[in-house]
Amino acid sequence: MVNMTLRFVNCCRAADLRISTAEVLDVVRQLTLIDPYDEFLFHTVLRTNFAKSHRDQDLFERLYTLFFHEMKSDLTEAENTVESDGFDAVIAELTKEMTADGDAMKQALIDFLSGSPLGYLDLINKLHKQEELAAAVLKSNMTQLSSRLDVMLKINTIKQKVLQFLGSNHAVVDDSVTASIETAVNRRLNSAYDLLTQEAKTKNAGLKKIAHSDEHYTEIGHVPFSSLSGREIEEVRDVIKQLVKKLEEIATLRYSVAKKGAIDVKKTLRRAGKYLGIPIEIVRKDKPLRKGKIVVICDVSGSVWAMARFMLNILYALQECFSKVKSFIFVSELAEVTDVFIKKEVNEAIESIMTDAPIEYQAQTDYGMAFQNFRKRHLADLDKKTTLIIIGDARSNYQNPQDHILKELRDKCRRIIWLNPEQEKFWADGDSEMALYKDHCHEVRACGNLNQLIDFIQELVL
Amino acid sequence: MRCRTSDCEGFIIISYNVHADFVYTRISSHVSYISGHGTKGEGMEFENILEVQEKLESQKYISSREISTVVFLAVAMEKPILVEGPAGVGKTELAKSIAKALGRPLIRMQCYEGLDESKSLYEWEYAKQLLYTQMLKDKITDIVSETASLADAVDEIANHEDAFFSEKFIQTRPLLAAIKSPEPVVLLIDEIDKSDPEFEAFLLELLSDFQITIPEIGTMTAVTQPIVFLTSNNYRDMSDALKRRCIHLFIDYPDIETEMNIVRIKLPGIDEILLKKIVTIVARMRDMDLKKKPCISETIDWAKALLTLQIDELSPEIIATTLNPLLKYKADCDLVKRNLPELMAS
Repeated sequence: MVNMTLRFVNCCRAADLRISTAEVLDVVRQLTLIDPYDEFLFHTVLRTNFAKSHRDQDLFERLYTLFFHEMKSDLTEAENTVESDGFDAVIAELTKEMTADGDAMKQALIDFLSGSPLGYLDLINKLHKQEELAAAVLKSNMTQLSSRLDVMLKINTIKQKVLQFLGSNHAVVDDSVTASIETAVNRRLNSAYDLLTQEAKTKNAGLKKIAHSDEHYTEIGHVPFSSLSGREIEEVRDVIKQLVKKLEEIATLRYSVAKKGAIDVKKTLRRAGKYLGIPIEIVRKDKPLRKGKIVVICDVSGSVWAMARFMLNILYALQECFSKVKSFIFVSELAEVTDVFIKKEVNEAIESIMTDAPIEYQAQTDYGMAFQNFRKRHLADLDKKTTLIIIGDARSNYQNPQDHILKELRDKCRRIIWLNPEQEKFWADGDSEMALYKDHCHEVRACGNLNQLIDFIQELVL
Repeated sequence: MRCRTSDCEGFIIISYNVHADFVYTRISSHVSYISGHGTKGEGMEFENILEVQEKLESQKYISSREISTVVFLAVAMEKPILVEGPAGVGKTELAKSIAKALGRPLIRMQCYEGLDESKSLYEWEYAKQLLYTQMLKDKITDIVSETASLADAVDEIANHEDAFFSEKFIQTRPLLAAIKSPEPVVLLIDEIDKSDPEFEAFLLELLSDFQITIPEIGTMTAVTQPIVFLTSNNYRDMSDALKRRCIHLFIDYPDIETEMNIVRIKLPGIDEILLKKIVTIVARMRDMDLKKKPCISETIDWAKALLTLQIDELSPEIIATTLNPLLKYKADCDLVKRNLPELMAS
């Protein structure tokens, strides 16, 4: 049983589920405390130790089913039957015929067929994470797709080979078991196919999804940013100005309260030394102000920009409330614009971003590429105190979404908040990748009008 | 823990057949530990999973088989439990019920941003230290008077500095209290996801070895093993290092049957048909886009309110007027009122 568990652990690791040796030891010890032949208990022990967050549980379940149910025949080392002999013969023949060219994927598929999914899981995992090359000439989203196609074709070839073999080798494989061997082979190849085409969905139980908003303003509050008229834009600016002022006041209030906290005995006594030990000057403890770091990644293509400009406007107006604000913009390539905001006045800076930043404004929006750029150049800007705010509609023109990069970013920062200027009902249609991206966010919000923006800002600052 | 020898032997043989001698020794040492304690070890709080379930039920906590199993394993292995789940599914209640069921005191620490060691672990009582030095001034003069030079005086004082950096001058905070407690306790570290990463890192020593290091005094190891619960609402992700030291448990909103059981145990004698309607409607509300989803205790509050008002038939009007115990935002109430027909559909 230990051996089996260890092999399962290897498979989990190949599929990117992090399991430490200490956890394996824990499982082995815990298995002695329960009845391991009760599957519910066995499963619970493995899950409680190997999938240590709700987000990992789906992947775990999938691997568990694959390993302990679909690959079952390999677990019970049964005696040789006519059927298993036939199966072995098929595998032997396949190995002989197909691995001559040293193709790792073919070898992995045959191993998978014979009951050891390790190599295949590893290759599939690599494939899911394959990145688009920043192509010089023609941009495409085909890298991953074509590799997948390749694997699919190989699966088909194996299926055909098995059929051929079974049809022409009556002497080796007993006729009575041909049908059952065929089903067994097909079942495994089908589950290999499923692994390839269906990525495990990450459960995101902690996801905070906010679509509604309080009624701050009845009329202007409901107009989508993208359809504001010139006069209304002015109106929104005024409202934002008021809001910024209000929030600043609250923040200053916090500063003054900070000086009225509990008495700091250590410092008071030190000062008392000056006056023969009489505590004349009383020092109070500074309450630490909540000052997080903010990193904003902002899509500046058409509709999003209408909302993003207001967002940036507010963030920079409220810079005092955070210890650092960094901002990046992208269409396809990503560029840092923090400096622009330092050098210029907020509104001026926003205007100049649209003309001066070193990115190509006419390019097609590509979120995958933008994330890839960010990870390559600016990953160090994220730490466990940083809130990453992504502003965008997640419409990526059917390019490779590369959502696994967002997952990596999640591991590096405190929270990821995605603001989408579109209302929630549009998130699922067309080229929107919101469904994929939201699995890696801590919070997703529809933020397309003033009311929603005010709600968000108040929650962020207060 | 009842140790069935045959099972244990089975394990040893299997593990020995495999390879990993290391694993083998760990198992065998564990087996001897169990057999050394006879049928029920002294440290063992629960004999089996069923007992966990029964004891929790005696505290009016309906636990699923998974919850009982994980609690049993954690207690037997002396490992902390990291409980995840949406707000109000009974994470904190689980810790409280375990404490009550075992008759152990509960030490609770609520986490928040800015929580640090001085509020969670210990703090030196400067005022008391100073007061003592003032009062003992003469005594100190006596000690120093014998010495010839300043350096000697400093050395002499240094010999006595332990007196001022002793446990007498430490103000205990929850974590240290749990470590020092002579009787075994249940330690609940609530909403760990709200704390800062620094605090999380600082917890690691406590969670893996049940010990705490105070620079001036040294390392203090737990007198008795506390049962530790950490709860998280997933506001942010926990570090791998912390997760590695814990056993994980996810509690979701209960299914309708379980929630009915929970309400029934809290409000015995409630009408079955009404109960089913209440629980179904609440479950449907949880699927709506609400600012705050109703939790189990709010279901109970609502049922209690309906009982007090002696209502035994739910109508849209009654629901609309009694929503207050259930929903805490005006926007939520409005949304629910607009969708009452769908909520009520059978």
